[in-house]
Amino acid sequence: MNSLDKVLKTLQDKFGAGITGHASPLPTRLFINIKAENVREISNEVVALGGRYLVGIGHDNIARDGNIGMIHTFGFDKDNFIVHLNAAVPGSNPVMPSITPDIPGAGWSEREYQDLLGMKFEGHPKPKRLVVADDWPADIFPMRKEVPYNMVPPAAEDVAYQLDECPEGCSIIPVGPFHTALHEPEHFAVYVDGETIKGCDYRGFMTHRGIEKLCESQVSYNEVPFIAERICGICGSVHATAYSQAVEMAGGIPVPKRAEYIRSLLLEIERLHSHLLWLGVAGHLIGFDTVFMQSWRVRENIMWLSERITGNRKTYGMVIVGGVRRDITPEIGEDILKVCAKVEEEVKIIHKSITGDTALHKRTKGVGYLSKEEAIKWSLVGPVARARGIDIDVRRDHPYAAYSELQFNVPVVDTCDVWGTLVVRLLEIYESISLVRQIIAKMPKGEILTELSEEIPPLKHGISVVEAPRGESVHFVITGEENRPDRWRVRAPTYPNLQAIPAMLLNDQFADFPIIVGSIDPCFSCTDRVEVVNVTSGKKRIMSKSEIEFISRGNR
Amino acid sequence: MWLTSKIKQVLMVIKPGVVTLNYPFEKRPVPENFRGAPYWDHEKCIGCGGCANHCPARTILVRDICQEIRVMVYDGSRCTYCGRCADVCPEKAITMTDRYELATDDRQDLNESMELFMLTCQRCGRCYDMENVNMIDRMDLQGYRYDNIEARTFIRKTTDRFDPEMLKKTADYKRPSKIGE
Amino acid sequence: MDIVYIVVNIVIFLAFAPLFEGIVRKLTAKVQSRQGPPVIQPYYDIIKLLGKENFIVGNWAFTLAPLMSFAAIISVICFVPLGYKANFLTQYADVITIIYLLTLGGVSILLGALSSKNTFAMMGASREMVTMIMVEPVLAMTFFVGAVKVKSLGIDATIFSVMNTGYSWAVVLMMALYLMALQAFVGKQPFDIAEAEQEILEGPFIEYSGPNYALFKYSMMLKQMFYASLFVMVFVPFLYTGVYALDIAIQLCEIALVYVLIALVGATNPRLRIDQAVKYYAVLIVLALSAVGLSVYGI
Repeated sequence: MNSLDKVLKTLQDKFGAGITGHASPLPTRLFINIKAENVREISNEVVALGGRYLVGIGHDNIARDGNIGMIHTFGFDKDNFIVHLNAAVPGSNPVMPSITPDIPGAGWSEREYQDLLGMKFEGHPKPKRLVVADDWPADIFPMRKEVPYNMVPPAAEDVAYQLDECPEGCSIIPVGPFHTALHEPEHFAVYVDGETIKGCDYRGFMTHRGIEKLCESQVSYNEVPFIAERICGICGSVHATAYSQAVEMAGGIPVPKRAEYIRSLLLEIERLHSHLLWLGVAGHLIGFDTVFMQSWRVRENIMWLSERITGNRKTYGMVIVGGVRRDITPEIGEDILKVCAKVEEEVKIIHKSITGDTALHKRTKGVGYLSKEEAIKWSLVGPVARARGIDIDVRRDHPYAAYSELQFNVPVVDTCDVWGTLVVRLLEIYESISLVRQIIAKMPKGEILTELSEEIPPLKHGISVVEAPRGESVHFVITGEENRPDRWRVRAPTYPNLQAIPAMLLNDQFADFPIIVGSIDPCFSCTDRVEVVNVTSGKKRIMSKSEIEFISRGNR
Repeated sequence: MWLTSKIKQVLMVIKPGVVTLNYPFEKRPVPENFRGAPYWDHEKCIGCGGCANHCPARTILVRDICQEIRVMVYDGSRCTYCGRCADVCPEKAITMTDRYELATDDRQDLNESMELFMLTCQRCGRCYDMENVNMIDRMDLQGYRYDNIEARTFIRKTTDRFDPEMLKKTADYKRPSKIGE
Repeated sequence: MDIVYIVVNIVIFLAFAPLFEGIVRKLTAKVQSRQGPPVIQPYYDIIKLLGKENFIVGNWAFTLAPLMSFAAIISVICFVPLGYKANFLTQYADVITIIYLLTLGGVSILLGALSSKNTFAMMGASREMVTMIMVEPVLAMTFFVGAVKVKSLGIDATIFSVMNTGYSWAVVLMMALYLMALQAFVGKQPFDIAEAEQEILEGPFIEYSGPNYALFKYSMMLKQMFYASLFVMVFVPFLYTGVYALDIAIQLCEIALVYVLIALVGATNPRLRIDQAVKYYAVLIVLALSAVGLSVYGI
């Protein structure tokens, strides 16, 4: 068993001078200030103690103390606490050692701040551009505070991302930026030998919407949840809840019990929705459209239910800082139970008819293999990890909302392939249904919203981890002045999972590419949320129909 | 095993049957509480600007074009239909209707604008509502009035993505029928 | 007068192929709890495509390929003894000609794909080639089982071998094999590998549009109907009445039943990978060879 004290003591004993301070605002959170030059050794030690890399957060503090901060966070799943290693480097020369060689899951976090804050990470194995567009000027770091949120530098046509070297004897198949297997624009360059995949390079972050920057510079605390919901079309409520919880933690805002139950209810309904959606998409990706249509037919009940509860089929818009907006009336409660019974019955039928289907086994078993050790190394999350024998679930490990008072199982299988993911997700549907029933039964009476009466104090740190249907979402908030966060970092579940995709693809058939990428249920817009590229430029122009037609015909 | 699965898959459909609708001709009714296009009741609106203050998408613009006339413009093309405006409206002047078929080839169709005749406080020269006890006092009323120097900064920050020409283009103001006759 | 039978053949195939495609679509939709498109949607599709702009991205072969494919399948159709009526053309050709012409259709797809120089088209072409090489023998064996029985490679003799000489174990085995290969013949799930929308975006046809694509689509539909009608003519020739028009009507009904089977199998199977499909075809070929062997010994 670990505990916060033990971790702290081990670190202090080992790196006495490397640790400059610590704080523990909650019994489950530990903030350690460390010297930047020791970051690699200390984070290795934290991982050795059992920490799982969550996310790196870079934040611009130049206006206050001339430093750029980099926070590496680690979750201790068995013991329910999160450790933050808070390092700072001077803004004039922001160089710090990279931790990626030992912890590959940190690769993207570091590359991100290389692009966004102009940091340098010594020893990074692949210090390529990740987030900003290819033609973004090299000396503008958009996440720095002095850069305005709506800056649009002139575009350049003659720069392009240099893909990795193609292995000998392979040819490149471009998947994306637009491809039917990808539901959002991303670019994979797949190196194939005949039909066998020998490698893959990824150039994504094409759907930047500048959400983090926008929320740090424009909107107020209680408007962010609505924008956070639009990070992702499927796990919107997850992002809103995670953000709200992070702000509540930072600002010490109490949340009414009933609101927590309603939040859990929404999260479970969303999980039901997402799993059914994924099942359909997976069927579609292997060319099995009947599964697609049937599971979406069942999903339609859930959509109707959420429309009934929240007024919208998706992007519920229910969660705000301090609670939720609408209450669950007894009539709605009855409807929820009715829909649950119906969905459970229908899912059972689908479950029975597809689990024995050998044709389906052929396309999913042994596909996208990644061993448990590899999966831990890449810090995979969600059903993808649980299909590889890693027993993690944030709902159980770091309980939030009402989950500490509810009983549920976490299905784990160890087939390490796409089939395992499918089974885990199917089983989770039943767990979600039982959770919804428990929530309805146990929901206490009372208020649903705490009014924000006082201002949230600035420069408080808050982190919240929420189990989205596809894995855990991590939201990190540093509160700011002017009624808005100073820094808000979102890490969607796809962020770590997508980094492991090249490893999963290796030596599989190209025909399996869609289902392997699909198996992590990639949400590229979740992953790409940061950045300021082209949030509607100042110029607005209304195009007539004929103009659009003209352009779409390939004319300029 | 294989064959039974196939048979099950074919038979799976028998119970639910065909569930899709012949859409444009046959519509599924929306539940109550549905959040469709918002509707402003100009007779109830007191012009407090609370909706504009809380709109996450910044689709509501409030501008005083002179001492007495306040113009409110709703730009539906960017609206996310979160219904936050309806929540915060102290006079319940905004309702979320059940209209959801809003596709149009002219974005002006989605806009709504109204001119409100405001009374003027004899003491300070600002607009206010007759009643003393209302939500305005509790609402953060920074901004949206050009006579407020402090608010001007707020306007610049939040509404500079609106086209200033938009007001001129929007000619179809709704005239209030009661006040100001 | 002989020309009438050929014209009837062509007209019936051209008229009914899209209808059967529509039936497949409608039935698939029903299995998927959908309304589905109207049964005559494929006609609309073809008419619409014919009216669209024709984008040409390759050399002359790109334009030639759809025409060649269409011509090849039309020629095949001319030889088909629809309504149990062998027309006068059949004496100038034998079953080898039919196999050649069908291969020509496949080759023209390859030609178009390769001349478009699209990566996905290349990939589709290589898959199409593999499918063609592996499936063509099963078709050939189907003819040969009959041919061995009647000791002739003539089209009418081969096709009517079951009608004239009755069933044998070889024929029954071949019939089962034909059904197992049917999805591969018609390019539906689980063997729509060459097109594989989710992987390689309709593969060989990715660069085609407008009338060119319409021709390809039409020839695919005709090919599907040919394979379905071949099954009906070779393996289920019972309901022979002798009245030409009635025979045709009965055959069309039987073809529709084959299409129902195609739709149901297609709707309940995921697409196989090319390596899995090749293993499947290999088993079919071996079994088909043994069927021919049985037929040689008269079993």
